[in-house]
Amino acid sequence: MLKIENLHVEVDGKPILKGIDLEVGVGQVHALMGPNGSGKSTLSYVLAGRDGYDVTKGRVLYKGKDLLEMAPELRAAEGLFLGFQYPVAIPGVSNIYFLKAALNAIRAHRGEEPLDAIDFMKLSKEKAALVELPDELTKRAVNDGFSGGEKKRNEIFQMAILEPSLAVLDETDSGLDIDALKVVAKGVNAMRSPERSMLVITHYQRLLDHIVPDVVHVLIDGRIVRSGDKDLAKQLEEKGYSEVRDAPQL
Amino acid sequence: MTDATRQTLLGSLPTSFDTGPEWLRALRGRAAEALREQGLPTKRTEAWRFTPVRSVVSAEFSRDDRGVPSLASSLPEGVTARSLRQVLQAEPELLEGRLDLGGAPTHFAALNTALFSDGLWIDVPAGTIVERPIELTHAIPTSSDSSVVYPRVLITLGDNAELTLIETYAGTEVGPLTNSVVEVDLSCNARMSHARIHENAGLQVGRVDVRQDTDSTYRSTVVTLGGALLRFDVRCMLQGKGAECQLDGAYLVEGDDHVDHHTTVEHQASHCRSAQTYRGIVSGKGTAVFDGLVVVHRDAQKTEAHQENRNLLLSETATVHTKPHLEIDADDVICSHGVTVGALDEDQLFYLRARGIPEDLAHSMLTYAFLESIVDRVSHEPTRARMREALLARMPHREEIRGVT
Ligand SMILES: Nc1ncnc2c1ncn2[C@@H]1O[C@H](COP(=O)(O)OP(=O)(O)OP(=O)(O)O)[C@@H](O)[C@H]1O
Ligand SMILES: [Mg+2]
Repeated sequence: MLKIENLHVEVDGKPILKGIDLEVGVGQVHALMGPNGSGKSTLSYVLAGRDGYDVTKGRVLYKGKDLLEMAPELRAAEGLFLGFQYPVAIPGVSNIYFLKAALNAIRAHRGEEPLDAIDFMKLSKEKAALVELPDELTKRAVNDGFSGGEKKRNEIFQMAILEPSLAVLDETDSGLDIDALKVVAKGVNAMRSPERSMLVITHYQRLLDHIVPDVVHVLIDGRIVRSGDKDLAKQLEEKGYSEVRDAPQL
Repeated sequence: MTDATRQTLLGSLPTSFDTGPEWLRALRGRAAEALREQGLPTKRTEAWRFTPVRSVVSAEFSRDDRGVPSLASSLPEGVTARSLRQVLQAEPELLEGRLDLGGAPTHFAALNTALFSDGLWIDVPAGTIVERPIELTHAIPTSSDSSVVYPRVLITLGDNAELTLIETYAGTEVGPLTNSVVEVDLSCNARMSHARIHENAGLQVGRVDVRQDTDSTYRSTVVTLGGALLRFDVRCMLQGKGAECQLDGAYLVEGDDHVDHHTTVEHQASHCRSAQTYRGIVSGKGTAVFDGLVVVHRDAQKTEAHQENRNLLLSETATVHTKPHLEIDADDVICSHGVTVGALDEDQLFYLRARGIPEDLAHSMLTYAFLESIVDRVSHEPTRARMREALLARMPHREEIRGVT
């Protein structure tokens, strides 16, 4: 699904990612953990195609294609989804309208007919129920006046509607209370399928209790220093990053 | 009654005024006198510094008296709409003191005062609440490429009266000049919503003067869609305690259009509130000007006045001059003003694109939403719909973004 090879990225001439190798197979869920500022969001933005990131070395293959060559909207149309760490508010643009436009743009790319208003409403109701997002929020302007937790739920709601092949979820758990965390995890788990891959960025083991990853990676200072199974996350929680980094790779 | 002689605007001023009631002749005489003394504005005239009227001032025009506003809707019960010319002939005393609401007119308004030949007087008597809006259209003549028209409208609302007025100014030619004056007189507790749409307005200089008595409310929403040279002034004089005005505007400036909005709110009485919110999008080689002035007179304690002007600049060759200013002589007031001039928000654009929305569509969505937020504040739904459609007609992807807000 996703193959990152020796990826080096700079922002304003400052190296942030310093040689990332990462492969996510079809149907796999990988977790990416790492201290603040280690480059997790940078990686997610580079994958989604945001401006301002200089790829100085390496490449990224997505479904066998050169991902970095594609415009952000093309990546989305090809099934890549980024759940933002900090979803931006867009006053004046209604959530539901925007999602319908997004879904229909993606459908058009796949050569499918646009979904009409009625079918879309049905879909939206169903998915909103999945993440327990109140109806009123689906209709408001995108993330405008949403609480931190509501924004994160809205991200998962969008993912559920767009049904991506690869979801990169950047700290979808931060800012969530315990119940909301369960709801979001339930939404994500409902989306797990043999065809869908996920890269889940998180600081906390507790999310991974709900969304059990196939592989866990530790990113420190722009490099993946350790990879392992779900127990690696537990070790991190107990021992902290420095000890895990310095321990010999098993 | 088209006068085919072409003259400069100042050159067309007669030396004496021989028709109409005495007070009108005097009023016109004073206006002409002021014009002869001051001339029309130049670059050195502060309030006209950014308005390139030189070509208009030196051009020759022929008078076209067909430029009177016309009613585009039937008249609701209780409301009268009369020709100014007829009233001035038959019952001139009714209009005495009402055609210079804004005080001694200057510049283009003075020209209109000196030269208008007809117009409309819409009167809503005390206690009359008009639910259906009244619509006025000002079709700018296109027959002659350099005619000038002087539309003149007087709106009077008695105590507790209510009116929604929609005015559209449309024309596609650059040649003709429209120099309009609308005066509004709101008695105690009267309420008026005034929607004004400038579509392809060509050469246009217009002003609205509003006099507000105690507890009256005036809400204006101006939507300006291009204009080779458009200058629009609205001025509210809050003369009665507790009066309120809300002045909103949205402008879309493209090509090498020049669009210029000036607002003035004079807080002359206490406990009045005013809010101005203008938003514009400027692209191509367009120029937009916003000049908003709030004057709080000495006795106007407990004034609340807000001013906001936000602009999106979509090209490097587009220009915005924005100048909100406050002159405050009272001490117990709440005032705020804010200005922004910037590009589309990159984070918003990326968010939309990351969800699969093509860049140009995302662009249209954000620009439309930016202006629509002004239209959204109009309370009369059909008017809102009209304004939305007028905006959409100028937007790429209009079908796709229709429901965006
Ligand atoms: N636009 C930018 N300009 C300058 N530095 C940047 C920019 N974006 C990211 N950085 C820097 O890159 C580094 C990695 O940031 P990034 O946001 O990827 O970290 P992160 O691992 O997601 O951290 P967190 O866990 O706090 O979300 C940080 O040092 C950050 O300051
Ligand atoms: Mg981050």
